Amino acid sequence: MTDMDLEQIIARVNSLVKDLEPYREMLLANVVMIGEIPAPTFGEQERISFLKQRFTECGLHNCSTDELGNGLGVLPGSEGTQTILLAAHADTPFAASEDHAYTINADRISGSGVADNSLSLAVLATLPTILEGLDIRFRNDLLFMGASRSLEQGNQQGLRFLLANSNRPLAAGVSIEGVPLGRLRYRSMASLGGMIACNVNRRVSQKSAIEVLNQIIYQIGCIPLLEESHAGLVLGSVAGGASFKIPARNARLKFQLRSDSDQTLMESKEKVENLLDEVGKEKGVSAHLEVIASTMAGGLDSSHPLVLLTRRVMTTLDLQPRGSIYSATFSPYAEKDIPAVCIGITNGDNVNYPDEYIEIEPILTGVAQLIGILLAIDGGHCVEY
Amino acid sequence: MLNINNWLQANTFHYSQFWDLLRLIKEKEKRGLSISLCIPTLNEEKTIGKEVVLFKSELQDRYPLLDEIAVVESGSTDRTREIAASFGADVYNSADILPDFGFKRGKGENLWKAIYQLQGDIIVYVDADIKNIHPRFVYGLVAPLIHRPEIKYVKAFYDRPLALSNEIRPTGGGRVTEILVRPLFSLFFPELTAIIQPLSGEYAVRREILDRIPFPVGYGVETSHLIDVYSEYGLEAFAQTDLDQRVHRHQETRDLGKMSFGIMRAFFKRLKARGIVTDLPELTSNLRQFQAQENRYEQVIHEIFEEERPPMIEIAAYRKKFGLDQ
Repeated sequence: MTDMDLEQIIARVNSLVKDLEPYREMLLANVVMIGEIPAPTFGEQERISFLKQRFTECGLHNCSTDELGNGLGVLPGSEGTQTILLAAHADTPFAASEDHAYTINADRISGSGVADNSLSLAVLATLPTILEGLDIRFRNDLLFMGASRSLEQGNQQGLRFLLANSNRPLAAGVSIEGVPLGRLRYRSMASLGGMIACNVNRRVSQKSAIEVLNQIIYQIGCIPLLEESHAGLVLGSVAGGASFKIPARNARLKFQLRSDSDQTLMESKEKVENLLDEVGKEKGVSAHLEVIASTMAGGLDSSHPLVLLTRRVMTTLDLQPRGSIYSATFSPYAEKDIPAVCIGITNGDNVNYPDEYIEIEPILTGVAQLIGILLAIDGGHCVEY
Repeated sequence: MLNINNWLQANTFHYSQFWDLLRLIKEKEKRGLSISLCIPTLNEEKTIGKEVVLFKSELQDRYPLLDEIAVVESGSTDRTREIAASFGADVYNSADILPDFGFKRGKGENLWKAIYQLQGDIIVYVDADIKNIHPRFVYGLVAPLIHRPEIKYVKAFYDRPLALSNEIRPTGGGRVTEILVRPLFSLFFPELTAIIQPLSGEYAVRREILDRIPFPVGYGVETSHLIDVYSEYGLEAFAQTDLDQRVHRHQETRDLGKMSFGIMRAFFKRLKARGIVTDLPELTSNLRQFQAQENRYEQVIHEIFEEERPPMIEIAAYRKKFGLDQ
């Protein structure tokens, strides 16, 4: 494809939102049918099975589930020399026992996991039908992937497995998330998601494990490396104890350390471990670090052609790239040196809470954006010379 | 007397038996059938959007099983009409259908008027308050009618347990079914006890049956349907499909009292009409319930009319619309 072809793609993107209107109900129905199947991390099988059934109904080739439970299907291109990966994680932070019923009103869909990540899976399930209906064809193969084991302890095992074991030459990857529209992420930070577990041996000490944990939290915050601007600490969740009248015997903290330098992160981790060793010297007190998930720093520069073309498509649709350029989703691509971007489909809020919702109206713009990016990649416009 | 066991074997289905929608559609086309979905509504803005989106997408756009999706409205004051229409349903105001016959408030009124308004050879009724709505609520009910011409009326029931052992387990319907309707059926229409959830609001029926039975406009519509169709065609005309689970609003016991009252009025009317009970007194339309305030008790009187619409086939406008006089 030539530069002129890119202009043609941009012109096509402009008319796409209207062309997508007949597919709105199909997309919304897929959001509901996928989202109402619970899919906690490591328990995504039923949801993936439904997605695979959708892939089959759409006529994708090689519809299958791999060893890690990823749901896969291929839309063959006219040449098929390379493959573009289109991925969305299938798991949610909601337990299977929680209410997964969705509500649709005139302008939004509400329900557990609707933004993260039922909408993206619904886009995967509907896109083959849309592409066929709009007669949009690709030279390269499109590999559709509902990724298993992504969140928290999943540590992106599904995507990592595919990237490590696929024998297809991958030209690029596009990861989609439900929200927000305007998301453009193309780098990953070095990160470490961990759990610190504090225990107090009641036969030896009457100290509360919560008190111990509190000291640890304070001291982690004082680690000099984490005070630098490019590093950070997220205190995610705490739990501990059994009753208000008994000193807690155990307590735990889930946290994340981030840095744009693998070296900085490594040094910070060592300092946390040293700190825990010091805490453990107190009689009857122990504290341990368990690494839940980790990512490495890397990704694309802001001048990479894939980033530029994604910005161009977004601008065409009056979308302003917003938010951070970093996403943990990106790490598996960075590890394999595969150019990729992560984008959002619509706007929404309360992500990962039971009152999570997405707005309906912007969805078609989000899908038009995705198609535009795929066409541009397919045209060879993301190659860095 | 009882052929219940045979009937249970032959005419009780699970929706998963009909998973092959392409086959179902081919069979529907082969038999030249058209199917209309009727969703009766009154202030259902929380659930109607999802129902319309799912049925339209899955059973019209993806698999063209439904020829028509209609919401028949009783005068909602919320956004039910707007939401249903925005997702592609045909929305009708019950009062605007057969206006010469006036408007009576009640679900049965909407179901009756739908027979005139909708076009299908089969009409499938699905309540609007189902939280876990799924395409099975429609295809599970119409499939027996498509595959088996002798079946005329298919009721839903909801029964799949989460775990099965070899032990016998009880099965059945809700509170009103088990403490009112099934005991009444046991006494007067024993074969009808085989219908596991006689009060379920989801059923699919052939037009030539629907237009020949009267419609109580209120609570008694489902019970009276069963008695009327049974009396004319026998148990063989019925089938029932297990749709797994139905999540819906929980009803207070006092509301169930009103429902039971309406059902009993419709029931006794039929006993009398069939000469099963001959010297019933004139039945009151007043249900009396009681409430306490501090140390005082007072009665609350609910006036519950159980009016009935005549069989649609007796309505001249209907006969004209569907060319039945030619």
